[in-house]
Parts: sequence; C-alpha cells; structure tokens
Amino acid sequence: MVNAVNARGYTSSRKRGLWAHLLELFRFRDLVYNLVLRELKARYKNSLLGFFWSLLNPLAMMLVFTVVFTVFMPNNSIDKFPLFILCGLLPWQYFTAGVMSSINAVTGNANLVKKVYFPREALPLATVLANLVHFLLALVLLFAAAFLYQVPLSPWIWMLPLVILIQTCFILGLAFILSTLNVFYRDTLMVMDVVILAWFFLTPVFYPIDILPQSQEVLGFTLNVHRLMYILNPMASLISAYRDLLYWGYRTDLDFFLRTALTALVILVFGYWFFVRYSSRFGEEV
Amino acid sequence: MESDAPAQEPLLEFRNVSKCFPLHRAERRTLPSLLRRFVPGLRPDPSQQRLFWPLRQVSFTVQRGETLGIVGPNGAGKSTLLKLVTGILEPTEGEIRVNGRVASLLELGAGFHPDLTGRENIFLNGSIYGLSRRTIQERMPDIIDFADLGEFIDTPVKHYSSGMYVRLGFAIAVHTEPDLLLVDEVLAVGDAAFQRKSLERLDELRRQGVTVIFVSHSPEMVRSLSTRALWLEDGTIWADGPAEVVVARYLAETWASEEESTKQAPAEEKEEEPRRWGTGKLLIEEVRLLDSQGQERRHFHPGEPLTIEIHYCAKNRIPEPVFGLAIHRSDGVHVTGPNTAFAGCRIPWVEGPGVVRYRIPSLPLLEGSYHISLAAHNQEDTEMFDYHDRLYLLRVLAPVEGERYGLMTLQGEWSWNGTGTS
Repeated sequence: MVNAVNARGYTSSRKRGLWAHLLELFRFRDLVYNLVLRELKARYKNSLLGFFWSLLNPLAMMLVFTVVFTVFMPNNSIDKFPLFILCGLLPWQYFTAGVMSSINAVTGNANLVKKVYFPREALPLATVLANLVHFLLALVLLFAAAFLYQVPLSPWIWMLPLVILIQTCFILGLAFILSTLNVFYRDTLMVMDVVILAWFFLTPVFYPIDILPQSQEVLGFTLNVHRLMYILNPMASLISAYRDLLYWGYRTDLDFFLRTALTALVILVFGYWFFVRYSSRFGEEV
Repeated sequence: MESDAPAQEPLLEFRNVSKCFPLHRAERRTLPSLLRRFVPGLRPDPSQQRLFWPLRQVSFTVQRGETLGIVGPNGAGKSTLLKLVTGILEPTEGEIRVNGRVASLLELGAGFHPDLTGRENIFLNGSIYGLSRRTIQERMPDIIDFADLGEFIDTPVKHYSSGMYVRLGFAIAVHTEPDLLLVDEVLAVGDAAFQRKSLERLDELRRQGVTVIFVSHSPEMVRSLSTRALWLEDGTIWADGPAEVVVARYLAETWASEEESTKQAPAEEKEEEPRRWGTGKLLIEEVRLLDSQGQERRHFHPGEPLTIEIHYCAKNRIPEPVFGLAIHRSDGVHVTGPNTAFAGCRIPWVEGPGVVRYRIPSLPLLEGSYHISLAAHNQEDTEMFDYHDRLYLLRVLAPVEGERYGLMTLQGEWSWNGTGTS
C-alpha cells in the first residue's frame, strides 16, 4: 500500500532547491486539483445561476462598454465593437481576477497554513487555475460573438492555447510574488487596487493600440509610446495577440510574441523562487 | 518508498534544533523600519532585537513503533516542537529529518470548506495530507463509517455541530495511514463514546506499528499511553526515558513547586467571588489536609490516612449546623459528598471559632487530582452559611505498590479456595 505519492520524507526545506520543491508540488498534484475544485464549487454553491455567471458577467460588461462607446461616444470607428471589446475584456478580467484573488491565497488560508504542512505553492496555483477555468468558459462567449459577426476563423487560431499559456505563466508569476508580499505587508492589496486600475487604462482593452502615438514629446524626450507600451506592458502584447487571432484574423507578430513569452517565463521563475524562499516562514507569519 | 530505507534509520531525528522568534514583531513592519533596512548606516542592530527561544538545542530521535509522550508545563515549547515536526515551522538552527508521512491531530477540521459537503471535504482534506484521489476513494467507506455522520455526510459542513466537525476531522486524520501521528490534547473533545472510539483507534494504529507522539497536560494519560516520555521545560529536554520514570519525576517536581506556590499565595486569592458564596453567618476560615503525623500536605498516596480539618468561626450562636464536604476528580466526576448529618454527628450549636475534622483512615482514591469543596449550612439545608466550591486541591500519587487502575480502591479482600496443581 506504499506508493510514491504516499511517502513523504523531508528535511528542513531551507536546504532544498527549486527542483525538490517542484517535485513535491507534483506529488501533491491532487491537492491542487481539489483546491481548484473547492474554489469553483464554493463560488457557485449558493448562487441561483451557478456557473452561468462566468458567461453573464462578461456579457453584461460587454453591453456596458458597447453602450458607452457606441451610444454615448459614437464618434469611434471600431467595427464590430462588441467582439472587439470582448477580445480585450475577457483576457483582462482573467488577469485581474487571477492576480487580485491570489493576493489573499496564502493569508486567506491562514488556518490551514498555520496548522498543516503541504507545499504552499498549491494555494496561489489553485487560485490562478480556478480563474483559468472561468476564462475558458467565458471564451465560449467570444466564439459565439465571432460566429454571430461571421468573422472567419483565422488559420492561426492554433496559437490561441499558446497565448493563454503565456498569459497564465505571467499571472502565476505575479501571483507568487504578490501572495508572498501580502503575508509580510498587508498593504499589498491596497496598493494593487490602485495599480490595477491604472494598468487597466494603460492597456488597450477598450481602445485599439494603434491610437497610441508613434512619437510623443515627454519632458523633452521623444518617445515612441506605441512601441514602449508593447515592450513594458506584457498585458498590451497579450491582448493584441488575442485580438490579432480572434478579431483581425492575423498571424500575431512573432517578435513581440516571443518577447512576451520570455517576460512571462522570467516573471514566473523569479516569482516561484521568491515564493519558495519565503514560504518557510509562512507558518509563523500569517 | 520508506520500505527500502534501512531499518535502523530513525523515523524522526532532531539534531540540535533551536527555534527563535523575534519578540517585537510589530515594530519591524513599519515603513520607516522598512526604509532603514535599505540604508546601511541605519540598519537596526540585530543584537538590539529581543529574541524569544521556545526551543534550544533539542536533540532526540524516535524509532519506528515507539509511542512518545511529551510532558511539560505551559510554554515549555511542546507545541512549537510538534509544529516543527509537521514542517509548519522551520528550525532556526539545527536539522530535522522525517522519514515518513506525518499526520497530525492538531488541526482537526482545519481546511474544511463550510460550503462543501462532508464527502467533498474528505477529498479536500485527504489531499492536504498528501493522499491521492484514488487512495481517498478507496478509504472513503471506512472514513464515513468511522465518522458516523449518517446522511449528514452529504450536507455542507457549515450545518455540522462542532462534535460532528471534529469527528469527521479525526476520521480523516487516522485514515491517512501515517507513519507518524501527532496528537495534541484533541482527545478531550467529543462525547464519551467517541472519545473511547478514538482511543481504541489510536491503540489499533499503535499495534499496527504507527509511531505516535503526543502531548498532554495530563501526565497520567502520557504514562498510560506511551512507552517513552520526554520532559520538556524552558525549551530544553529535562528528561528522556521510560514513560513511567519520566512522568514520576515530572510529577514529583511540579507538585513540590506547586505546593510552595500555594503556601506563598495570599489568602484572599482563595476567596474569588464565583467559587465562594453563602450568608456568612458562619465562615470557614481555613482548611488543612493532614497526614498521619499531623503535617499539612497536598499530596497523598492511596491507602494513607488523611484528615481534613475545617477551621470555622460563627459570629453568633447558630443551632444545629451541618458541615459537609465534596470531592470531585479534576474531570468533574463527583466522587463523594459526606456531611455531619448523614454521619449522625449532631452538633448542638456553634458560637465563635471551632474546628471540625473529617478523618479518612485509609485513602481509597487512586492516582489523580481531586478538588475538595466545603459547606456549612443549617439543619434543613435552607440556608447556606459558607460554601467553598472546589477550592482545595488534593493530589493522589501513584501507589508504590497495589492497585492502580480506575478511580478508587474498594479495599476489598481477595481469597482463593482451590486445589492448585498438586
């Protein structure tokens, strides 16, 4: 009755490397699965419409944006605005929900962290994965809209899972960093509230990235805002990639695509290292 | 995996383990102190910080199949030690090796999600212990059976009573098939039937070779359950050896020091409001437990003579008062309640100071802590003059020889009529 999953031997984790932590996390993969399940079930348990909220919420948001930008401010020239906004809104909602809910992933489970040992990485990981499930459900809406507008499927649609994977890596990296910070400094959540709002306006969710100027004088320097946005804001690149694939039907720009992938990977590895480095103190700090 | 480990390798090993917490943790988390950390000249001097060491240089090993009890006063570092074993805390210095799966009964029901049903929580909790879904599926019937929740198993746990909550938590923990089980006082929860069931299950696990470490405030429990005991005090190991020996030393030591402190304690402390009441026409002023030499003591061996001396003072003349006492075991069991009226000892009247004695020729109580209550009331029991509710502690030590099981000895006599083998 002894199998590899059951046996657990450890020494003080301070002495273990990243690889040993990853192996341990792999042994606890069923925990991650169950935590994701817990999050999904708990979210819908007492609501009438259950998982339909995954669809209703973005649908309502889409309506709001469409009314604001086509009725109140009709002078924009974006074709098929509902589809356009969904392409930006869904990945953005995935991003904010994933980041913001994972800030509390460790502190919100204090009773567990203080009393039981398990790889703590499972907590932010499960939170992000639960939000990924939501995002995937909501994508159904996007495909429905594309179908209604008779947008032909791009031959590059096979890249979509890759884009989602890259975005997930990026969110996960941030989730590791922020959930750790929040254990030691509870200001993290308040700070991130503001940061996310600013980030929203800095990201081409409800406007096309092409409206950003190619050159702009700022404090005497000439900046290419358009290009800077791509380089500094991975979310801009990601949303552009979604739009390229689902709205314009282009092949997304490989140069930017690879750069974003690299950024996401660096953040993920750094975030994981950061988390593991401090997770041994979670038991006494939360 | 653990089966190919060499047999001699201990299941648990502590090597010079110390744990330290900074005392002024609130100070550290301010913005100025954060900024100071980045300015080399202003960095706080680590030697200035006050530190608290719940454990210092602790070394011990536990072999497979042992049952280790840990005794020690509050704040001795017992909980810290258990948390280090589980891996929740990391040692500041030293090394801890665990060669197997640890399950602990420190956290019954921790991690239950209130909105999920009992069954769903079994999966969740089981996987927190590191079990795979398949394994949990296999053990599900046993767990449900043990928790004895009936149809509540498919009800969200937020509707559970606290007893049901603990039962489910316990059922999961003992079915994880741990190599090492940590138990911390939790057996005090639940009703008597469940407690018995838990103890039986614990015994069964021990017989199957599961190693158990448990912490208890009741040294009697440590002695009866474990083979070996650690005495932890001030963060260091004071004694390590056979449970019988260590617990006896521990008890002798703590009781001696407790006796000293009760002697030194000011008399007013005994007059705490809720534990003493009455009209005050007659006051019980002093109570003494005396041994055969007339020496005042707080601990006695079974079979020793014991005299309870009650010093009272009546302001005015009171006709036919009744003096009584009650003995409760520390867990609340009412052992006895004699009084002068039952015994036919009629006191015509009292006025001014006086003494009433209750003599027990041979103390029938067995090892444990008991509380003595005293009462003085009128003949009809309609007026309570003075009542001292469980204010006096009586410790009964383990017998040097003779009976040792249960609450008391009936002082019966055995005889044998038979032919033997010849």
